[in-house]
Amino acid sequence: MAEQFVGKASEFKDGERQIIQIGKREIGVFRHEGEFYAYSNICLHQGGPACEGLTIANVEERLRDDKTSMGLFFSEKDMNFVCPWHGYEYDMKTGEHISDRSQKLRKYEVLTKGDDVYVVA
Amino acid sequence: MSSPDRSSAKRTTAGAKLAKTSSAKTASVKVAPKARAAPSVANEPSPQEKADFVKAMSKGIQPNTEAARKVDAKKRAAPAQSEPAETVKILRKIPAPGAVVNTAASEEALRVAAMIEKALADGDLNCLQPHAQQALIGALCKLYAANSEVGNRFPVVGGRTAVTATDVMVMCGALLKAVDLQVFELGMWQSWSSN
Repeated sequence: MAEQFVGKASEFKDGERQIIQIGKREIGVFRHEGEFYAYSNICLHQGGPACEGLTIANVEERLRDDKTSMGLFFSEKDMNFVCPWHGYEYDMKTGEHISDRSQKLRKYEVLTKGDDVYVVA
Repeated sequence: MSSPDRSSAKRTTAGAKLAKTSSAKTASVKVAPKARAAPSVANEPSPQEKADFVKAMSKGIQPNTEAARKVDAKKRAAPAQSEPAETVKILRKIPAPGAVVNTAASEEALRVAAMIEKALADGDLNCLQPHAQQALIGALCKLYAANSEVGNRFPVVGGRTAVTATDVMVMCGALLKAVDLQVFELGMWQSWSSN
């Protein structure tokens, strides 16, 4: 595993993504709320480009004290990304599939040294 | 053409030479002879040669021998190649979703929307009286249609709110009823106008 330079943090705006290739691996690098995340760009479902679809807030159901539903809302803090092929949805922070947490995309460590961003792959 | 006897004699002579060379090599560097392929019994190494061979194999290459010098020369001539460094190739850059520009009216509308959401969450359905809801719905309906007419199309519901399918059906039905339209007419208009 080596640190691979992928770009400057100052040129990577919040909400932007880069799809990079290191050797034979295709990796999606996200910048979300100032943090960097990198995942394999191969969907667990049928191998689609998992990191290239919509980014969308997690939908959660809010409950009153008596456990009756207040309805569905977009989460204020949890963001997901969606594979454009068949809609497999993954947690931005962990790469886990949101309805089956045992399934997750391969996560790559992202290091920032000064203004430089590296992916460990 | 040579006779079978003469060719076999030649093979024997060649085999003897090879055996001689191999035994010389074994003696000097204690490395296994390679020219031992001939299947004839005459080329079979002696038990002593076999024992020497096994000893040489178990001892490995000894320093200051011809074999060690050859290995050193090979190492110097062709240094071990390290794996080529993997290069990073940027395939695509996907920009962030469009930046939101807030006008004063937008901020006011967002404040009202947040207030309505909170009231709904608290179960307060009277936060906006019907005449206020009618004014808001009517104005938003006209604004959305005017934007759509000029090609400024965007999802009617977005951002950090979610409406259910039931909410949509109730609202659409009420809007159609308000202007005395049937669902059939809506479908016909959509298919004719490609909207």
